[in-house]
Amino acid sequence: MGWRIVYYQSEGGDVPAEAFLDGCPTAVEAKMEAVLSAVAEAPPPSFSGGGMWEAMHGAMSGYFEVRVNGPGREHFRLFCLLDRDGPGLDEPAIVVLTGLRKPNATKFSEAAYARVRARGEDYKGSVPRRIAT
Amino acid sequence: MGVDMSYRDRRLATRMDDPAFRAEYESAQRQIAQIDAVMRRLDALREEAGKSKAQLARDIDKNPATVRRLFSSEVNPELKTLVAIAEALDADLVVKPRSRRRKRVAA
Repeated sequence: MGWRIVYYQSEGGDVPAEAFLDGCPTAVEAKMEAVLSAVAEAPPPSFSGGGMWEAMHGAMSGYFEVRVNGPGREHFRLFCLLDRDGPGLDEPAIVVLTGLRKPNATKFSEAAYARVRARGEDYKGSVPRRIAT
Repeated sequence: MGVDMSYRDRRLATRMDDPAFRAEYESAQRQIAQIDAVMRRLDALREEAGKSKAQLARDIDKNPATVRRLFSSEVNPELKTLVAIAEALDADLVVKPRSRRRKRVAA
């Protein structure tokens, strides 16, 4: 059975993943959405996402990222959680939290990752789950 | 009653109205489907051969965790690793040109 794709919504009502996607080049946005669709159709543990969907490790363990390169070798990342039975969700869901972009050969700061995790913790603490509707 | 989970579906449907987005999305879908199909076929061949992932890893001199992560899409597959897996499973990776007619239409 496939999974649903949902966007996390902050308490203030903004939808960071959508804002991020809106700011991406069209080709990057389309590729990221196609990866999400593929993973939703064949969720883990199946191989899915064409190599652009990866589990994260270390401090980001438990999170997943969609990894797409864009024009000028810029790197785009969309951060997600898997929620199998969250309160208020009818089906297992891929929760799209937010995104980041960086120039080639650079790293995201720990603070940037911490902000992603803060989104994730906010989502996981919401009952029912706070998603864009 | 559950939460309305269709927000993303509606957004995607709206974005698909943009021809440039649709073309990129469909192209990405085709590329993703090909990679996923290769990985799933190799995993199916592994099962048909009765080999565990650990056994396959030994056959290609890789860490068992590497092969496990590879088949569960936790890491991006490298072509040389895929070729080694295919070799260990007595299979070939093949690139098949699309039909001449399709190429002419595309041109």
